[in-house]
Amino acid sequence: MTAHSITVTVNGKREYLTIPSHMTLLRMLREKLGLTGTKNGCEAGECGACTVLVDGEPVNSCMMLAVEADNREVTTIEGMTDDEGGLTRLQQAFAEHNAVQCGFCTPGMLASARALLDRNPHPSEGEIREALVGNLCRCTGYLRIIKAVQAAAEKGEA
Amino acid sequence: MLARPGLPSFDYIRASTAQEVVRLLKEHGEGARLMMGGTDLLVRMRQGDVRPKIVVDVKHLPGMSEILYEEGAGLTIGAAATMNQVAKHPAVRAHYPLLAEAANSVASYQVRNRATVGGNLCNASPCADTTPAILALEGRLVLYGPNGERELPAKEFFLGPGQTALQPGEFLTAMRFPQLPSGSAGKYLKLGRSKAGDLSLVGVAIFGFPDETTSSGYRFRIVLGSVAPVVLRALEAEQVLASQPPGDETFALAAQRAMEAATPIDDVRGSAVYQKAMVRTLTLRGLRDVWEQLAGRKE
Amino acid sequence: MAKHTLDPVGKSVSRVDMYDKVTGAARYADDLQFGPGLYYGRLVRSGYAHALIKRIDASKALQVPGVKAVVTGKDTPIRIGLYLKDRFIFAMDRVRYVGDAVAGVIATSEETAEEAAQLIEVEYEELPAVFDPEEAVQPDAPLIHPDLGDYEVVNFILPEPGTNISEHFKLRKGDPEAAWPKCAAIVEGTFRLPQIQHVPIEPHVAVALWEPSGQVTLWTSSQSPFAQRDLIAQSLGIPHGNLRVVSPYVGGGVGGKAGVSMEACAVVMARAVKGHPVKLRMTREEEFIGTTVRQSLVAHTRIGCDAEGNLLAMETRYYFGGGASNEYGVNIARAAGYSCTGPYYIPNVKGDSYCVYTNLPIGSAMRGFGMPEIHWGIEQIMDQLAEKMGIDPAEFRRRNCVKTGDTILTGMKMPQIDLVACIDKVTKAIDWGKEEKPSAAHKKRGKGIAIMWKAPAMPPNPGSSAIVRFNEDATVNVEIGAQELGQGAFTVAAQVAAQALGVPYEWVRISAPIDTKYSPYEWQTVASRITWSMGNAVKAAAEDARKQILDVVAEHWGEDVENLDIKDGQVISYQSEREQPLEKMVIYGLPSEDFEGWKGGPIIGHGKFMPTYVTNLDPETGQGTRAVVHYTVGAQAVDLEVDTETGEVEMLKIASAYDVGKAINPDLVMTQIEGGAVQGASSAFEALKFDEKGQPLNADLVDYRIMTTVDAPREIHGDIVETPLEDGPWGARGVGEHVMVQTAPAIANAIHDALGIRFNDLPLSAEKIFLALQEQQKD
Repeated sequence: MTAHSITVTVNGKREYLTIPSHMTLLRMLREKLGLTGTKNGCEAGECGACTVLVDGEPVNSCMMLAVEADNREVTTIEGMTDDEGGLTRLQQAFAEHNAVQCGFCTPGMLASARALLDRNPHPSEGEIREALVGNLCRCTGYLRIIKAVQAAAEKGEA
Repeated sequence: MLARPGLPSFDYIRASTAQEVVRLLKEHGEGARLMMGGTDLLVRMRQGDVRPKIVVDVKHLPGMSEILYEEGAGLTIGAAATMNQVAKHPAVRAHYPLLAEAANSVASYQVRNRATVGGNLCNASPCADTTPAILALEGRLVLYGPNGERELPAKEFFLGPGQTALQPGEFLTAMRFPQLPSGSAGKYLKLGRSKAGDLSLVGVAIFGFPDETTSSGYRFRIVLGSVAPVVLRALEAEQVLASQPPGDETFALAAQRAMEAATPIDDVRGSAVYQKAMVRTLTLRGLRDVWEQLAGRKE
Repeated sequence: MAKHTLDPVGKSVSRVDMYDKVTGAARYADDLQFGPGLYYGRLVRSGYAHALIKRIDASKALQVPGVKAVVTGKDTPIRIGLYLKDRFIFAMDRVRYVGDAVAGVIATSEETAEEAAQLIEVEYEELPAVFDPEEAVQPDAPLIHPDLGDYEVVNFILPEPGTNISEHFKLRKGDPEAAWPKCAAIVEGTFRLPQIQHVPIEPHVAVALWEPSGQVTLWTSSQSPFAQRDLIAQSLGIPHGNLRVVSPYVGGGVGGKAGVSMEACAVVMARAVKGHPVKLRMTREEEFIGTTVRQSLVAHTRIGCDAEGNLLAMETRYYFGGGASNEYGVNIARAAGYSCTGPYYIPNVKGDSYCVYTNLPIGSAMRGFGMPEIHWGIEQIMDQLAEKMGIDPAEFRRRNCVKTGDTILTGMKMPQIDLVACIDKVTKAIDWGKEEKPSAAHKKRGKGIAIMWKAPAMPPNPGSSAIVRFNEDATVNVEIGAQELGQGAFTVAAQVAAQALGVPYEWVRISAPIDTKYSPYEWQTVASRITWSMGNAVKAAAEDARKQILDVVAEHWGEDVENLDIKDGQVISYQSEREQPLEKMVIYGLPSEDFEGWKGGPIIGHGKFMPTYVTNLDPETGQGTRAVVHYTVGAQAVDLEVDTETGEVEMLKIASAYDVGKAINPDLVMTQIEGGAVQGASSAFEALKFDEKGQPLNADLVDYRIMTTVDAPREIHGDIVETPLEDGPWGARGVGEHVMVQTAPAIANAIHDALGIRFNDLPLSAEKIFLALQEQQKD
């Protein structure tokens, strides 16, 4: 079992880690770095609760090996607020629309939504639905999440 | 029977040359698995279907993730290009929209950031969404092995579910597509259990172009996914379209022939009867769509 | 500028848990940190649906470096259960479903535990199995619990030892035999629902620590910290005071985290490695078969009405497929029995509701608790009766639905509700009666309506309690035992406390996580009972605190307490117009005018609530004065489109209206209405599937699909009706489960409207609809 030394930038901070080959990025974030905001919902790339941004693009962190994150930039939910803990427009929109219930899908949902607004600042409703299809939510029924993303887009900033 | 938590242990090797990959494959045989996006391999490892000793990451080989288009020469897609790379690439969208459409229909956006077209092909799953498009566009596969590089028509690659023409020590490095006939059009239609994000219960790729050598003046290629042990060309349906004037009646007959070519089995995702019927529905819809594009282009 | 919300009840104030949840700071059970002493557990599960265990050999597993212990049923020869103690924590001599826990391995890592679990050899002797509840009640069916007669059971559940029947509820009212000949129309049908799963996005997880002193702590994702303490303490012989259950935020409950499931395994495993916490978490795949599922149902139902369209008679038999254990599920069958008519006044009723053992995953509580199951058939029959009588289905329901004061099927008088208002709201919202054009020639459009009722299903006397503690600055900590599952319980508790105390909403904090060592008792966060029951307890605690404050100030000012009030965090006098801020005085009290001593002291208010008026029902007739505490009622209407070439259904709009008595937080009620409509719609297309040996075929998210963003309806509309409940806080009653009860039959009725085809069996699927269309064309 090979151990790998990697350098990965997580939420703007450079981390030097030694991890085994078979550790997923999800488990690295949760178990090595204590970044438990990223959730383990299925470990099969189906629920999206573990979605994080790697070099700005969303991936299921359960479907990526930690060793693959070497020399890359990872952003988790913990890295989305500003230094004072201030909410982004997107987070504010989720709060204002009550687009959160149990909250377990929320970190992954925010990662997917933020990446969508970064690549497409004014998505249509259909584009939002398409972009979030890999993020399951059992509580909200999705419409408030979609409206929150629309509202954040209208305010012009993710 | 149930998938395990996390992955079983293995050694990860990031390969930097094709020769190194060949050597590792020869050395470890079945004990080695190649990985690009990992979206299929990691799932199968959790399920215990495969348990490699070493996992060789080949996506960083030179050119593996590149997409190159040259007017006249056609398109080359590195095996490790992700679905999103393919779906978003301007040249693919402009000249091979069928391929972009198929790549974009796979799973979810975040999965498409990892899943690769090459991986999709090498799994040789009958429900791989990009395979029908690649067969419809008569793609060729570039394989690298102990004897160097060889090229194979994609249709000769699939031998059965999970079985490919890859020789021991050989792996896929790229897909090549010829310049497409002018005035051509394509459509990929997929039926899942939800409108997006699911595997395909039925996938139908249709590609058509004007062809003076046929009596109808057009040639169509129809490729069916998920309804046979391998992805399937519906040749009899294509024959109907080559010989009879385009129009609803011909399309209906072709759709019927496509349905007859399908040999799905009953499984938890759907019955054979339903999947066959859906081949007809999707083929008919696809033909109408492609015809609309072709007719529009002609004017 | 800090918000300052006065009189928050009835206002859509923001959730107390929102900031933590949008920043990733909210901690769930799997997020808690235990340091390097943490061990992990994995379970060995049965591969047979029904078999005797001949031998378990763990010797190879025990040799794996890092393995600390292996436990089996022999270590814990005891049963556990909420209403009927029929469940072995680890299987003893027999396994009863594929997935039954046979052994547990404890190791220093999850990976080691998993590798070792795969090395445990279990020898089985396969037994005949039974999967269909109606087959399981046949005299020659394999007996799944031969010792049923020895099991401890509560007095209102009636198992039939020597059979697979764990509960038989009988409802007898009027004289159906005499009524049938008077019926102008009778509709009869058999309706089937498969097992489905809750699919919370957070899988179950439990961490248990058994200290050498005998103190036991369980950290768990749970709707029922107190019920878990009670049941685990009873079965393992732990003094209640020594068992502490800590439960942080729950990542979705839906009923699946009610009662006890895998948590007991974690405690037994921790006992084997005292001093080390042991984490046991379910993979997504295990979540489907190793926790609990919604029971299946076969319903045979016949309903008739007279020439004017008034319902006259009903006869129904419900066979709930309870799976391998019915410890919780027995009360689902009972609830279905005493509510078997659905929300209708029917003078003559014969109902039999059975809970039946089968060799499938364990059926238990799921949002709606028997009501989605029985409404599936009832609400389709109502449409068919209306059609036969030539009456509009909405009008037929207005005429026949229960109304305040009706003597309902159990003999109980219906408390205040307004179901007709709910019907009026949804028919208006959906443009009922207006035919809409489909979006394409190959599509057909239809509308459907369905109504519902549901009572909290629970023992007669489940209690709630609350404590309200003031801090020096007059901020308030509210201690409750109710759990935040996403439904907004913490926010409602804060609103109720602020309103009853007279302080701004923003001054209130909820003491969380819920911890049985520090939090006051709450039976379980289930049954849509929290806003009502916990709400009453919090209100009582706040009123207690308020009274203590006013007494101090009244004495201090020498005024009559009747003239004092608390407004905006200050005591005011209507008599002298004096003001006294709460700050400081709620801890330090007030000095005498002459500084000769002090009055008051730290203010702590206590409150409790327990319904005391529910009566037992006659075991032969189901009749009694008060079967349940109350009912919540509602209506839904859907507008949808069917693609006739594929069978795919597109949900265009779901309109819902519920009578919640009083919406403590209207927007949170709306979030329940919206989320429930989508979960209800999703449930119509969901099914756990098994092969002929009981092996699961779709125990993962690839093949068990729940609705995604692209499947969710284009539009969801909600209306709130407020007919106050006599004993609810400000008149409030619960609505958490009701919101998905009748969605599936509303969809079925809309599909019938679109296609003229009825589907008696769930799940609906594009395939089933398409093939039915093909049949229809043949005819």
